[in-house]
Amino acid sequence: MRNFLNQTVILLVSALIGSLVVFGLLRLLGGDVAYILLGREATQDQVIALRAELGLDRAWFVQYFDWITGFFTGNLGRSFSGSYDIFDQIGQRLVPTLLLAFGSLLVSMVLALFLGTYAALNADNAKGVATDVVSQIGTAIPAFWAGLILVVVFSVSLGWFPAGGYVPIQEDFWGSLRSIFLPIVALSLGVTSVTTRFVRSAMLDVLNEDYIRTAMAKGRTTKSAVFVHGLRNASIPVVTVGALQLGNLLAGTIVIESVFVIPGLGQLLLSAVNGREVIVVQSVVLVILLIILVMNFLLDIAYGLLDPRIRDKRKGG
Amino acid sequence: MAEPQLSRARSRAQLSNLPITLIIGSVLVGVLVCVALMSFVWTPYDPIAINVRNRYLPIGSDGHVLGTDKFGRDVLTQIIMGARNSLFVSVVSTLVSLVIGTLLGLYVAAAGLKVQNIASRGVDVGVAIPGILVAMVLATAMGPGNAAAITAIIIWFIPVSARVVIGPAIQVLSQDYIEAAFGYGRTKWFVLFNHVLPNISSILIVQASVMFAAAILIEASLSFLGVGAQPPTASWGRTLKEAQPLMEIAPSLMVVPGLAIVIAVMGFNLLGDGLRAYFDPQQARKQ
Repeated sequence: MRNFLNQTVILLVSALIGSLVVFGLLRLLGGDVAYILLGREATQDQVIALRAELGLDRAWFVQYFDWITGFFTGNLGRSFSGSYDIFDQIGQRLVPTLLLAFGSLLVSMVLALFLGTYAALNADNAKGVATDVVSQIGTAIPAFWAGLILVVVFSVSLGWFPAGGYVPIQEDFWGSLRSIFLPIVALSLGVTSVTTRFVRSAMLDVLNEDYIRTAMAKGRTTKSAVFVHGLRNASIPVVTVGALQLGNLLAGTIVIESVFVIPGLGQLLLSAVNGREVIVVQSVVLVILLIILVMNFLLDIAYGLLDPRIRDKRKGG
Repeated sequence: MAEPQLSRARSRAQLSNLPITLIIGSVLVGVLVCVALMSFVWTPYDPIAINVRNRYLPIGSDGHVLGTDKFGRDVLTQIIMGARNSLFVSVVSTLVSLVIGTLLGLYVAAAGLKVQNIASRGVDVGVAIPGILVAMVLATAMGPGNAAAITAIIIWFIPVSARVVIGPAIQVLSQDYIEAAFGYGRTKWFVLFNHVLPNISSILIVQASVMFAAAILIEASLSFLGVGAQPPTASWGRTLKEAQPLMEIAPSLMVVPGLAIVIAVMGFNLLGDGLRAYFDPQQARKQ
């Protein structure tokens, strides 16, 4: 319980600092948004008028407070260009982005557990080396390039998958899966490779432990020793890496959505960056930040469940 | 008479004992650095010269080994110039963040337990925040370009390098000779720079190599998104972006810049792995 409270405090403080930093960076480095939006020919009066209209002439803490309360109550106002309601737009675009990120997380964790264990069990022979080489190359391939190549091969040449676009999951389930299949493959590649290497080294550590030797001495086969004792003990570093990778996956969706023209948060963020839509940028960044922080929070809770030793140590300390 | 032979034999044995990853990584990184340096003196063609008559020449064309793009620019020249930009961004961002991160890490390691606890929490959160996200914020604030990309990578890397330093530095600080140095009247920063830093330098070198690789990847992603290097600065990511709408007429335009990124990133990753194995053979054998 004490751990839970501690973690909650850490979550809230991190979220507060994070939102302040994002807000501050945009205000300090951003210059005058009204001036930038109007361009060089704008008169001083026009700039002042626009500043007042956008609420940029208020004190910074008023603006911050306004934004944060709006963020949590669903009232962020319209974009500077006036073409959309910010909160609605974020809500609509959250679904494809979360599908992509969590879909890739699931795919890459399962694949990495399998490949990493395989590489660890074959550490001394050619199969293990081959897995290492493949994961080394996979780590170096940028997700967007993998995406482009997949489109050329599987959409343009073979025609198996759509080259881009997103079918909403509530409209057509299988069509939706088909539309996010290639993006998920492209996005998972790097994370799968990195995590495979972690699983491999965690598994190698575990295989050297006494309890594995004991299990083998008691007559278990290597396979069952690995599955009964190994996977559970190797799962802690894997969960850690997995939760850390979620941030990378969410960031990766920005690039992947751009390759596959998927109307997600990343595309919204990118267009907001180019249009200097400060409120949109800070809101989308805060959404992604909150997802990452909540995942880290859940991770810290999960540690205790996976490993009683960590739980006990925390209670004691 | 026998001695030089012996030493030659030994040096040959040492060479063959080098981790294979170190050798491959050094070669790849060496090629990359040479190509980037060469671009200052010579490139096959003028990187910004446009030649409409030579558009979309395929790979292996006469005079254009890797073909030409939609403006008739030589692809090989674009790749060479892109190597320069990639290295520039990654060298600047890695070095600056490594210096700041190391200083921070050393400070935290020498500070009390309370500072260490708070700092390690902050570092944990900082590490979890993806670099592209930081870059998006900075690109909005500063406008897109190399400056925003470099600043973002620096901010992203500082907690990463601090985290790598803190643990080992605390370990070194608990040694007896550190206590002796303090007893001798040395100041905190003297001890940190003269005793702690040399002892963790191998970790920093490995870390730098890994960070180079990450910086090259993110630079490519950012310039692909259009928030990194702006025209006319050539960059691998933007070359790919420009090739994207042409994938049906000239798919080969997408192959070369991507391969360049993969080779560069793999080079630094392998170099990092190799250096780690070289500095700490026992740990490497276990891995």
